Formats: sequence, C-alpha cells, structure tokens
Amino acid sequence: MDDQMLKTLCGLPGVSGAEEPVRYEILKQIEGHCIYRVDPLGNVLAFKKGRQEPVHSMLFSAHMDEVGLIVTYIEESGLLRFTTVGGIDRRVLPGKTVRIGEQPGVIGSKAVHLKSAEEKDKAPALDALYIDIGASNREEAEAKVTLGDRAVFCTHYCEMGDGFLRGRALDDRLGCALLIEMLRGELEYDAHFAFTVQEETGTTGAKTAAAQIGAEIGIAVETTTACDLPDVPPEKTVCALKKGPVLSFMDRGTVYDLALYRRALETAQEKGIPCQPKAGVYGGNESRSVQTAGNGAQVLAVSVPCRYLHTPSCVAHRSDADNTLALLRALNGAFGG
Amino acid sequence: MTTSELVLTLAGAHGVAGSEGKAAGLARGLLSACGPCEQTPLGSLICRVCTAPEDRPHILLVAHMDEIGMVVTHIDDNGFLRVGNCGGVDRATLPAAQIQVHTKDGILEGVVCTIPPHLNPDESKIPKMEEFSIDVGLDAETARERIQLGDRVSVRSEGCELLNRRVASKSIDDRGGCAAVILAARRLADCAPLGCSVSAVLSTLEEVGGQGAKTAAAALRPTHAIAVDVSFGYTPDSPKHKCGELGKGPMIGIAPVLDNRMFEDLKDTAKRHGLPYQIEVMGGETGTDADAVAVAGSGVRTGMVSIPLRYMHTPVEVVSAADVEAAADLLAAYVIDTFGGNG
Repeated sequence: MDDQMLKTLCGLPGVSGAEEPVRYEILKQIEGHCIYRVDPLGNVLAFKKGRQEPVHSMLFSAHMDEVGLIVTYIEESGLLRFTTVGGIDRRVLPGKTVRIGEQPGVIGSKAVHLKSAEEKDKAPALDALYIDIGASNREEAEAKVTLGDRAVFCTHYCEMGDGFLRGRALDDRLGCALLIEMLRGELEYDAHFAFTVQEETGTTGAKTAAAQIGAEIGIAVETTTACDLPDVPPEKTVCALKKGPVLSFMDRGTVYDLALYRRALETAQEKGIPCQPKAGVYGGNESRSVQTAGNGAQVLAVSVPCRYLHTPSCVAHRSDADNTLALLRALNGAFGG
Repeated sequence: MTTSELVLTLAGAHGVAGSEGKAAGLARGLLSACGPCEQTPLGSLICRVCTAPEDRPHILLVAHMDEIGMVVTHIDDNGFLRVGNCGGVDRATLPAAQIQVHTKDGILEGVVCTIPPHLNPDESKIPKMEEFSIDVGLDAETARERIQLGDRVSVRSEGCELLNRRVASKSIDDRGGCAAVILAARRLADCAPLGCSVSAVLSTLEEVGGQGAKTAAAALRPTHAIAVDVSFGYTPDSPKHKCGELGKGPMIGIAPVLDNRMFEDLKDTAKRHGLPYQIEVMGGETGTDADAVAVAGSGVRTGMVSIPLRYMHTPVEVVSAADVEAAADLLAAYVIDTFGGNG
C-alpha cells in the first residue's frame, strides 16, 4: 500500500457531487497504467489488460465521494447554515474545524458555562448549528462562500498506535487507493475499474458506470463499519480490525451473489489471506446499483474494516488494507477463469 | 510574529491543567526579553518586567496558561482508555475528536470513540464522561506500558485564521490572555524604569480552581493586579446580556470582588487613548484568577480585563486579534498612566 498516495487522497475534498479534486488526483495516479475516460456524471472508467481474457467480464468499483456538509443559507450575521451530505451523525459536528474550499471555518457550540444541565446532555439539533468563518455580516461571507459550496472536516491524517491509519474520508479513498494499486500492478485477467461519484447520496454514479461497462461480475471495494469497541456486545461487532478484508453476504441495500461470496471465501482460504464475513445485516454500498444496472451483474463487496465511519476521524489498519489488496488480486485470478 | 500568529502559537502548545510544562517553556521564551523569569513551586511563570523601590506600587498582570482537557483513568483489556475531565470539558465536542495523549515519553495520537448510529440510534444523547472511550491503536499490554494513569489528554485542533483577523483554536482560553499579557509586558519593559514594579504572571491550574495564581500572588505580594482572561463572545444561541461582542474591544469587569477604582481608571484609560472597550458585569466572583488573587495575603486591589471569545471550552474557540491587541494596549496604558511616573 502506497502510504503517501493514500494520505494525499484522504486530504482532498470530494463531498458528493463535488469530486473534482479527487478525480484529478486519481487520473494523475493511473495515467500510463490503463486506458480510461471520464463519463458525463464524472465517474472515472478504466480498463486494464491482464495476461488473459476472462470468460466473464469483471468490474472493480470504489467511490470517490465522501460525506460532508453543504452551505444552505447565509445569515445576516455572516454565519453559515448547512445541512449534511450523506449520513453524518450530528453528534460529531460541534467543536470541529471545517474547510469550504480554501476558507476555514468552525462549528462552535455555546459556551458550556451557559448550558443548562439538560443542554449539556443533549446534542444540538442540526438546525441549531452553523459554520463561523469570521465574517461579521452577510456581505463579507458572500465574498467567500456561495450557497451549495461543500465543506469538509479539517482533520489531521496520521499513523496511530500499532499500524493504524487515522484520517478523514478513508471511506472510500482507501478503496480508491486499492484500485489504483491494482491498476499499477499486473493483472491475471482483463478488468474494468470504476471510480464513482455520489455513492453517499444514493449510489448514483455506480448506476451509470455499471450500465456503460456491462460487466457480468461487479466487485465493490469499500470500507465497512467495524464495531470492535468498548461497550459493544460481540454479536453486534459486525467486523473487527486486523482480521482482514470483510466479505458481505447481505446488507441493507443488497443480497449478494451467494456463489461469488463462497468462492471469495474459498479463494482467501486457499491463498492464506485472512478474511471475515460481515457478521450482521447493516449498511449498504453501490453494489445495489451495480447489481441492477443494464442486464444485471453478480455482485460481491470486499471491504476494509474501518472504525468511526462518516466521522472526521476514520480509523483503519494497514494490515487490512494490504490483505484486501492481496485478496482483490486473487479474486481477479479466481473469477476470470 | 503577528498577534494572530502569537495567539495561535501559544494556543497550540500543550498545557492541560497540572501539566503546563510545554506551554510554560514556550511562554518563557516569549517573555525572557522582558525581564528575569522564574517558576513558582506550582509551575506558574513569573516575569519581573519592572522593578521599582519597595515603597512603590507593584502591579501584577496575570493570565492563565493551563487549558481544559482530560486525564487517563483506566486502560481496558483491549487497550482502550477511559478518561475523566480536567476542567469544564464540553462533552458535546468529544465524539470522533482527534486527541493526543501526553505520556512521559511523548505524544500518542488517538480518537474519541463513537458507536455507530445503527447501534446507538438516539442522536440527541451525549454520553457521560465515564462512558467515553479513547482509541490509541494499541493492545492492552503496549498501552499499559506506554501510558500511565494520570497522563493528560488534549483535543487536537489545527489553529486557523478566519476573516476579520479572527483566529480559531483550542486553548485560546486563556492563551489569548497570555498573548495580551506578553504584548503588554514587552511594551512596559521598553518604558522601564517606571514608578512601579510590574510582574507578569502566567498561572497554572486556573481551570481546576486557581491554585497557581493564588500562590503566585502570595509570593509576589503585589499592591494591584489585573486578571486577563476570556469571556463570552456573542453568538445567536447565547444570552446577549451575558456576552460581549468580538471586535469591539476588551471587556472591563465590574464585580463585588473587583476594585471599583481600578474599574473606573481602566475605563478612563481606554477613553483617553481612544481604545475600544465593553463592560462586563458579574454578580459576585468572576470565575477567574481574579477571585484568588484579590484575597491573596492581606488582599490585592484587582481589576479584570476580558477578551470576548466565542465557543468557550470547545476546540474551536474564536477571538479577534484586534481585541487581544486592544487589551494589551489598555494594560500598558493603564500601568503607565496610573503608576508609571517618577520612574
């Protein structure tokens, strides 16, 4: 896993519908390693020759977009009202620094000294929050910000503890980085790749990407929620870090192809790659769009387990990223024949 | 260094209450050109800016350098930490915050854990302090080897400059006040000798009771003191009558524990020099170092100058650099005008 590339990707803003900076970086990274084009919605569609032509065509997809905030109104006071783009738990918002393009701002919270006992236990409603960029009136704010501008959390990307990676937007820049690694390396079988837009707001990009490619097998490369945390009972852990890639049989969006799921488990076992089933029916990803696009595709989701998804501070483990890459390469070999 | 940079540099240093060494080291470097510096047994930094004969007044300018934070209370069998608060932490700002654990061997990065919404669906509920866990990416054995119970935890916040010379960071409460005291000390050191002694004190432990300022005042036995802290800056969710406004100058305090004459003199000084100011009225004590300093020894006439600050006790406290400068101007002008003659 190319650490610097992942760090760069995680640092770029790419809230749904405004993925340009991420797309630009991905194009830079894959240039010379494949043929590619950008489609009308902004998806990057790439194709790479392998050593052999597969019997069944396959598509690996990862989404470029991330959850974030969008400016909806500018108060006369110069404060910015916003709503969330994608699923953000409103409890993670107060006290965070954000960036709207180059303009920093903060999401404050009334001084704790002025809060009643009841207020101290209660997360402010989304409607009660605003972004402060230091403007003292609407005019000053309008010189810097336009309605519809996206905001991302300003957080520090770093390694943490024993091989953990902490950063914003690991969902799904980690998936993008894995696809880039596949494109840079050798493949056993020809494969299509899609870096998609607008996954977080309805898996929109994958719909049109898959429809254009028309692959028979679609593999979504994702991050998925790991709840290996204090105070979570074992049956609700879903998956855990340092136990390898996560394979989904079912989630809230998709019932996955059972044969593909079983072959993926077998392949991992044969190759000695640790992996874990997603133990619970939660969440969803763009597989649901890939599955029903065009004539339909058999789908599988391969995810890197990740803690604190959709917050400013996602945490994944390097070993899981490396093992996911190994499994994806193995699946290219296993599914092509 | 601009005032914004000074505030952000000071605010960026680590100094959770009772662990102010880093902040003190930085402040000492910034103050050393103003006069001899020493530290009290409780860690407060004293800089003797001007020394006049014993019978002359002795003015103490005090701001606190400690910040709110957390303290490690437990390491569980999977290496996750539990913490207690060190000062008045706003729990609403903790979920998914990036934090740093300050161990004897250096800093460990971490995250305040959040339980995903599908297992924790009541989005309105903020956990109690003892319900929060911290993830530092270590197993129990390594965590216990590298982290001691009692190690301080601070929220990481990259300071930034906003519009209108406003700056945002953790710990501007009260490094913004420290910046004003440092700027005033530089001004006064340039004017020395003065007709009074001046000591700058950057105190410890304000957020947990004011022990640092109390003992520094006992040691220095000043005749007068001005506490420089932050106070509530108006935002639409705050009561207007309890707030000052950013950019409209420092707030001069009046309260039973504060000296009325100094209140009047500070106002007159501001008017005379054309400095912007606001009035802050408090019903009893001030909730700042002023309370402890006023009753140190046989009592100290104490005034209060506050810098309006938004989002107090969050990692994104905001002040105006112009207010910090105006506070520094006011402190220096007050000392020179009131006590400075016959130097």
